[in-house]
Amino acid sequence: MSGARSTAGPGGRGERLPERLRPRTQERRGKGDLRRVESTLLVLAFLVLAVAVVNDVVRQVHVNQRITADLLTWRTITGNDLKNISVEQDLTHRTTRDVLCGNTGSGPPGTQPQACLIITGPTVHGMRAAKGGFYLPPYFPDKRENRYACFGTAVSEELCGLPTPPGAPDEPLTNG
Amino acid sequence: MAATDNHAGAGRATPGRATLALAGLCVLVLLAATLEVVLDAAVGHSPLTPGAPGITGWLQWGIGERLGFRVFLIALLCFTGAYAALLVLARRISPHPRAARWSIVLVGTLTVIMCAGPVLFSTDVFSYIAYARMGVLHGLDPYLHGPIRIEHDPIFKYVGEDWLKVATAYGPLYTLLSYPLAVLGLKGAVWGAKVEALAACAGTLALTWRCARARGYDPAVVLVAVGANPLWVLYGLGGAHNDVIMTFFMMAAVALVFSEREAPAGASVVAAGLVKATGAVLLPFILLSRRRLSALWGAVAGLVAIAVISYPVFGLHGLNVISALNRDAALVSTDSFPNELAHLLGKPGVFPADHTLLKVALVAIVVHLLWRTWRGYDWVSASGWTLLAIAVTSTWLLAWYTLWALPLAVVARDRRLLIAVFAVQGLFIVHQIAPLLSPASQ
Repeated sequence: MSGARSTAGPGGRGERLPERLRPRTQERRGKGDLRRVESTLLVLAFLVLAVAVVNDVVRQVHVNQRITADLLTWRTITGNDLKNISVEQDLTHRTTRDVLCGNTGSGPPGTQPQACLIITGPTVHGMRAAKGGFYLPPYFPDKRENRYACFGTAVSEELCGLPTPPGAPDEPLTNG
Repeated sequence: MAATDNHAGAGRATPGRATLALAGLCVLVLLAATLEVVLDAAVGHSPLTPGAPGITGWLQWGIGERLGFRVFLIALLCFTGAYAALLVLARRISPHPRAARWSIVLVGTLTVIMCAGPVLFSTDVFSYIAYARMGVLHGLDPYLHGPIRIEHDPIFKYVGEDWLKVATAYGPLYTLLSYPLAVLGLKGAVWGAKVEALAACAGTLALTWRCARARGYDPAVVLVAVGANPLWVLYGLGGAHNDVIMTFFMMAAVALVFSEREAPAGASVVAAGLVKATGAVLLPFILLSRRRLSALWGAVAGLVAIAVISYPVFGLHGLNVISALNRDAALVSTDSFPNELAHLLGKPGVFPADHTLLKVALVAIVVHLLWRTWRGYDWVSASGWTLLAIAVTSTWLLAWYTLWALPLAVVARDRRLLIAVFAVQGLFIVHQIAPLLSPASQ
């Protein structure tokens, strides 16, 4: 084959092997320009990965912006400047619907009744619209059977499965 | 770019003052960025610094503040920019009579600073210590149980939440190397893991230097390309990852093949694979390239030797690295390219069918590389491409996985490999910058 160079000279390494099986110091040349094809594929792969990375960065930035707006919205509506607020974002269906839950009083996260807001729509002046919400009793996870006092869109979506416990907060909270 | 021909370098004029000043500035940026990260991380626990036994109290001089995403990302970008500029300048600086000495001092200083600091970005080192303590202090086989079985051990609270129930995925050679850490106490074990990483790093760099000489590349430039690489320094050394131990054995194999000692090279590849399974990928390329069975006999001898030592300790479980690979292959990390591609295609993430497609793609790449190696293509390049392909097609990509191919790439004959490694690392770094573009959390 043209361009092939084996390392096995007289008395050299691999001289007992047939010519085509001997180790080579240079690659055989084929019919086509393999290197050019490989380079083209590598450039294409890089471009695809680069687009995917930039797309993912933009997606993450949007998600972070949404969280920031959501937190400000929750704090403004509830009047509670909490640090520990749980955020559940709908990233699967690519909607802008987020559910934020936080304590209605002071104490470690989840130890007080939770005020939860359903926040949707675009960010306007750093905030988004709360279209509805519900409450959760202390120490209970956010499941339908634990939610009570639904308001706004949470009523029509039938998100609550629990009657309001006596003495629990039940005031509707919305800004939209 | 990162590797220049020795003889060509000898014929060039010594660098001008402007070049040296610019290079000096780059060096200062590298040192400043590293110090910033280390001193801030030493202040205490943050999202970037896992909770750890207090080993860095002596670094708390009151000048750092808790390491946040913004400061870290700015330091990472500055570090990367200075590193890239230094590599661009390398061709002009390399003829300087002191270039080799400067490169050693720079890389040595960065390495020592990083190893003197706290554990960064990962709890892996605590898993290493937990597995060692399970085996040595609690009589539990780390290949059968996760750290959850030593809930009352003081290391337990430092192990990452995702790994509490997971048996070790590392090879028996690494597990045996980590066993002495168990008797050093918590802080001693962390320092011990750091010393292991430091020694492996020094060994990898020394071997890379030697391989660069053997191939006619400028070893000083190659040393900087690996030892001052941002992901190598900040993530690889910062987390004291055992990937550096794997690269040490890999580069030992490369150096041994370059000096025509294929049998010990085969044993060294097996040692790499028995630290982390991916290290074994060099073996078929060596065999196809050299067409000698001595590498295979060396590999078999190495495997038998380690099996004889590890069997009484771990039984057969220690040698079953394939099941650990399969388990990890099912995981998905946010930084993995398949996950990013899935998002680009409008999917929420990677599905089982995608794992199959990725495996098929990886097999196709490896078969192509094997075929090319048979035809005489550089086996070092082929091994590097394979390691890079594993990292890119893996759904569980971490920063230190992009380091596997780096020492091979700087001594490979195919310069496209080094460009590809840098491109993948560049994309990885770009993917980290979202917090820098997002509004500050309130």
